Amino acid sequence: MVISGCAPVNEVNIYTSRHYDADDILYAEFTKKTGIKVNIISGSGGALMERLKSEGSNSPGDVFFTVDAGNLANFQKGGYLQSIKSQTIKNLVPKELRGENDEWVAVAKRARVIFYNPESVSEEEIKNISYEDLANSNWKNRVVIRSSSNMYNQSLVASLIANLGEANTEIWAKDFVSNFARTPQGNDRSQLMAVANGLADIAIANTYYIGIMLSGKGGEEQKVAASKLKIAFPNQENRGAHVNISGGGILKHSPNRDNAEKFLEFLLSEEAQKHIVNNTFEYPVLEYIDPHPLIAEFGTFKMDKTSVSDFGKYNPSAVKLMDRAGWK
Amino acid sequence: MKKLFKLSFWEIFAASITALFAIPILLILLSLFSGFNDNFAHIYDVVLYEYSLNSFYLVIGVSILVIFIGVITAWLVTNYDFIGKKIFVWALILPLAIPPYILAYVFTEIFDYSGTANNLLRSLNLVSEDYALPNIRTLTGAIIVFSFTLYPYVYLITRVALMSILKPMLDSARVLGLSKLQTFFKVTLPIIRPAILAGTALVAMETLSDFGAVQHFALPTFTTGIFRTWLGMYDLTTAMQLASILLFVICIVLYFERYQRSKQRYSAAGVKSEKLISTKLKGIYSYLAALFCFLPIFFGFVVPVIELITWATAIDNTFNNDFISSSFNTLFLAFLAALITSGIALILNFNARIHAKRSSEEMNNFISMGYAVPGLILAIGITQLLTYIDYILFNTGLIITGSLIGLIFAYVIKSYALSNNVIQSNYKQVSTDIDDSARTLGSNKRKLLFDIHLPLLKTGLLTSFLLVVSEVVKELPATLILRPFNFDTLAVNVYLLASEERMYEAAFPALFIILIGLIPIYFLSKMIDHSRTIDE
Repeated sequence: MVISGCAPVNEVNIYTSRHYDADDILYAEFTKKTGIKVNIISGSGGALMERLKSEGSNSPGDVFFTVDAGNLANFQKGGYLQSIKSQTIKNLVPKELRGENDEWVAVAKRARVIFYNPESVSEEEIKNISYEDLANSNWKNRVVIRSSSNMYNQSLVASLIANLGEANTEIWAKDFVSNFARTPQGNDRSQLMAVANGLADIAIANTYYIGIMLSGKGGEEQKVAASKLKIAFPNQENRGAHVNISGGGILKHSPNRDNAEKFLEFLLSEEAQKHIVNNTFEYPVLEYIDPHPLIAEFGTFKMDKTSVSDFGKYNPSAVKLMDRAGWK
Repeated sequence: MKKLFKLSFWEIFAASITALFAIPILLILLSLFSGFNDNFAHIYDVVLYEYSLNSFYLVIGVSILVIFIGVITAWLVTNYDFIGKKIFVWALILPLAIPPYILAYVFTEIFDYSGTANNLLRSLNLVSEDYALPNIRTLTGAIIVFSFTLYPYVYLITRVALMSILKPMLDSARVLGLSKLQTFFKVTLPIIRPAILAGTALVAMETLSDFGAVQHFALPTFTTGIFRTWLGMYDLTTAMQLASILLFVICIVLYFERYQRSKQRYSAAGVKSEKLISTKLKGIYSYLAALFCFLPIFFGFVVPVIELITWATAIDNTFNNDFISSSFNTLFLAFLAALITSGIALILNFNARIHAKRSSEEMNNFISMGYAVPGLILAIGITQLLTYIDYILFNTGLIITGSLIGLIFAYVIKSYALSNNVIQSNYKQVSTDIDDSARTLGSNKRKLLFDIHLPLLKTGLLTSFLLVVSEVVKELPATLILRPFNFDTLAVNVYLLASEERMYEAAFPALFIILIGLIPIYFLSKMIDHSRTIDE
């Protein structure tokens, strides 16, 4: 409980929807460096937002740390974030990876790409593939992807709406869903396993999962499975592969505003960026830092520069569209 | 002794508790008056039908299966002697120790493409290398999971009902010329039918309330729909409106269950009955009966526990700081909630007893309905409630929402019925003559409760305490939502890890939950045997 009037503890309260154990090390590093105590409450984006809504101006939250721009945009829309003032941050992060009024900032990137088993997918089929191609009938019963209730998919569809328009995206979605090898279930890792096991030929998942699996962190079975897979970066001939972010923002009623900004700056420091790259296998925001070797070996690729804040804008339409398309 | 006010302290207390308990639900129902927006229209048009259909099939499927398993096993162990019967009698309730979401996680892992089940079949060369058992993450799979973990309710209630059938009843029927079949329909069935239906209704409510299992199976039902609307569409009002629909359905089931329970007629407790003769089964029949009883225990308890132990021991670092702090948090919450709940149940039952007014009993009955409310929905309602209190009482910035009060409140509402049932039935065994004697000897109400009733209710209070502890340890959705900073429970750990498909790491906390879940089973099994042992 936070009671005003007590002796202030030098702390920062982080509401996070990231669920990576590696983050704990980040927080510890931050405390070691700055002496600021880190308090965490974790939950899904929606749960955290509800909490903030109920807490109102009494909320002790300082930072919102999350994956997926959709989450950030929703918080922004709800008025829960305040503008970041730090010039350091603005200098480090390009405009398209920040909120319109700097309500939030990206600290890492991930791409949602196609994983395939080269033994069951020909070079012909996979060459220059695009997300749009996945609706074609030659992929019938060969595609796995997780549930539409997952934010990453909602953002993907939102970006399609931003680029193709809602009507075209809906047509695409219906055909895409009819190509599923099974009803959506499990998380991204589960989709990769399904392809490795021959249940499907291609899976759509985030890039960092292959890093985790190949590293052995998930166990021997996952390592073996991951080594069977290759990555195809979609839409290399036009706009580029769909990129999403991990990011953070300062909460509107933050009681420890300065500490909040310090924390975000810390996440963009070389040290933290390296940690993120090496532990959660994401792509760094700082251009001069290399991604983890396991990820780097899949090559560089063209990244979609669609403004990440569009994901949030089109999120509600995306969810309804996916419902109508029967994407469970 | 004069009463100074029209209402005594006890009545005021009871009324306040009743009002307090009702508020979260009222807040949710209030959303129905906020108007229905686009999102609701979308849900209505596109997915509501599917949610309803799935929920419907789920409940029907589970009900049929639990009646099948629960009634037949109860029948077998009560009326027959066969191999292992003495063990089966109590072992059949073991699956209750495993909450549905844990069984769902375990079964998913076991029946996965590269899971234990398929590996076993392949290694025994029973199937080809490519073969895999049908996917378990389906409606059918969910029905199976819920049935294996919830059938003990039906088993338990049916068994107790069967045991209340006294030999003289059956003898009379025989003397009056009824055949065995006729006896069954005219004597036995009317006694056990309300019990079976009440037990099944309880199972139905548990099924409708579940969130963890159906979410893991990616099964679109009301609970997942409510969660998705809340999270995916960031629309709490519409989510609450959906929740209201679910509450309405649950209400119907609830009233059905209560109606059935009221129809139950047991012989008076403590009456010495002639021992009912169990028919001895011989040969193949004995084995068949044993097999039928063994299978639900095997799939509902033995297999999951063995698998969890295997996974927990396969990785290192299970007994780490996270686990220790989560365990501490879990037990702390559970003990506190159990104390408060038992205390309230005691006072309210005392109140109903000394003011034998209809209204006191009604109040008790009303707030007992809390167990039917899904934890998810309670949590939303309570969050809202606490925010209002915050604003009214503490404008200084005191944050209650960050604290444990809301969470304990949710636990108390959810477990009240359990506590109430236990204490109420214990109270019934305390003859009202005692009250009268005490009064004539000059005891006031407070003395009556604390000096006279309390010692007599020790069993009930202890049982209530332990049952609530086990309920709270298993609880998931409300805890996920209401827990404060840096505060995880074992259930939350299991959920988060399982969602990340890290079952091996979730195994140890899951086992701990099951272990605590075994405590009430010990008492329940005693309850099953009690009437029998009068004569043995």
